[in-house]
Amino acid sequence: MKSYTQIPPGTQILIGRAARRRRVLERAICSVFEGWSYEEIIPPIFDYFDVFAKGMGAGQEEHIYRFIDREGNILALRPEFTSLVAKTVATRLASTPKPIRLFYSGEVLRFDKPKGGRQREFAQIGVEHYGGTRKTADVEILLIAVETFQRLGIQGFQINLGSVDFFGGIVDRMELPAEQIASLKDVLNIKDQSGLEALLQTLPIEDRRKNILRAVPHLTGGKTVIKEARGLVKNARSVEALDHLEEIYSIFEKLDLAQHLTIDLGEIRGFDYYTGILFRAYVRDLGFEVASGGRYDGLPAAFGEDLPAVGFTFILDRLEQIATPSLDTGDATAVPIHVDQGFAKALQLRQSGKVVKLCL
Amino acid sequence: MLVIALCKGRLLDPSLELLNRAAIRFDDDVSLSRKLIFESTDRRYRAILVKPADVPTYVEYGAADIGIAGRDVLLESHADVLQPLDLGFGYCKIAVAGPKGEQSINGSGHPTVRVATKYPRITMDHFNSRGIPVEIIPLSGSIELAPLIGLADRIVDVVETGRTLKENGLEILEVIAETTARLMLNRAGYQTKREEVLAFIQALENARR
Repeated sequence: MKSYTQIPPGTQILIGRAARRRRVLERAICSVFEGWSYEEIIPPIFDYFDVFAKGMGAGQEEHIYRFIDREGNILALRPEFTSLVAKTVATRLASTPKPIRLFYSGEVLRFDKPKGGRQREFAQIGVEHYGGTRKTADVEILLIAVETFQRLGIQGFQINLGSVDFFGGIVDRMELPAEQIASLKDVLNIKDQSGLEALLQTLPIEDRRKNILRAVPHLTGGKTVIKEARGLVKNARSVEALDHLEEIYSIFEKLDLAQHLTIDLGEIRGFDYYTGILFRAYVRDLGFEVASGGRYDGLPAAFGEDLPAVGFTFILDRLEQIATPSLDTGDATAVPIHVDQGFAKALQLRQSGKVVKLCL
Repeated sequence: MLVIALCKGRLLDPSLELLNRAAIRFDDDVSLSRKLIFESTDRRYRAILVKPADVPTYVEYGAADIGIAGRDVLLESHADVLQPLDLGFGYCKIAVAGPKGEQSINGSGHPTVRVATKYPRITMDHFNSRGIPVEIIPLSGSIELAPLIGLADRIVDVVETGRTLKENGLEILEVIAETTARLMLNRAGYQTKREEVLAFIQALENARR
């Protein structure tokens, strides 16, 4: 056994002020979720490995902590909540009237490189919306994300909104093998123009289509991006995605929130389960995203119930690094009680709600 | 103010020259000074000088909004950063080299090829893709020495002119990839400081024309 002083990489211990800050943040965020009529779900910390493998998709297995129970089943510590919640909604809550609004808060574990304040064990807090109409639910989810930032007093936040379907519609017609689509996504996701150019040389597609792909990394910004994109695509899936994004953007404009929204049609990263909108939230002066989410209509279906679904999750460990001016996470001032003043005095102060600290 | 991470070494002068053409100039002589932080004359940029292999790290963590470094360090680091521009300068090959006269990247005689390198990840990926068992011997400099004194059978390194290889009796056996200087951006900075970042990219693109 290693020395007791050694801490397993990727774990951390929150003590005192740090722990208090986490709980205050958690409570503030939960109160926003509750304000939109979301109910809490507390799922188990482990489930069958297949649940997560099915949910997160190919290439994620290596990030999952697995173990075997006495009957030989492969279990896994939860690497995220969405698969667990989707499974519960599709099975146990199958006959519950829709829409179903749920939120969760807790630790997840991923065998990953600790980075940007996210350890291997980290805290996620998020909402999931099942069985609602697509447009309303997408906007609702985004508004909750906005209100969360506002509730914490965070000013310079930006939500980067894309759609799996815009890119999907473009590549659907190219009939490329899965590996080539994956390579395309890889270069587009880092906006690598020269890498894209090199890849396009090897792809058996018309020049017109290559030009569409060349434009994708630049399709990022305000509403004009949608207009620009309309000039590029005619296929129904991409056009529908653009209509949808435009509607969301217009609603944000009317609510005077559009300054927090960036359309990014080159944003196609994420777990395999995403099927529609896709977004990530960033805060000025923090190098990593603090929240991510999107639509995952196929996920409940994978567990037996065909339902539209959308949600997002905040990484609490990253939010903790940002100034949250509207939250008071300071120490409560305690009334010092000397033992010779008697315990009765302490009890009396406690009954009136005062914080006491016994001094020996 | 945007922070630009520049790498010390062979890419520094061409990087500064490009910035100069984009009208981004510094009060001090960046390549001669011993300072590590420089402010541009217009106070819009702050340049920091770091080791090449560290540039992707500074950018990924957002300590720098922008970085300029070779594709070799990006491939090695797997850092999650945006890489919009190939800046074209600093061309090198990343290659497997060995003693002159050897035919393949397989080591002679050993069941596992011993490869000395500053690029363990690129090396591992390359040999794995060929199904050749490899033992990585991590070194941080004078890589060419390793095969000469029997520390390794092969090396993986960046090769600019091939002169150092030649003078040490080595030659390229296989080219793994080509590398040039790349512009990299922090993902969050790209979203939250969009106008400044886009203005910078535009200035660089104009300067390269």
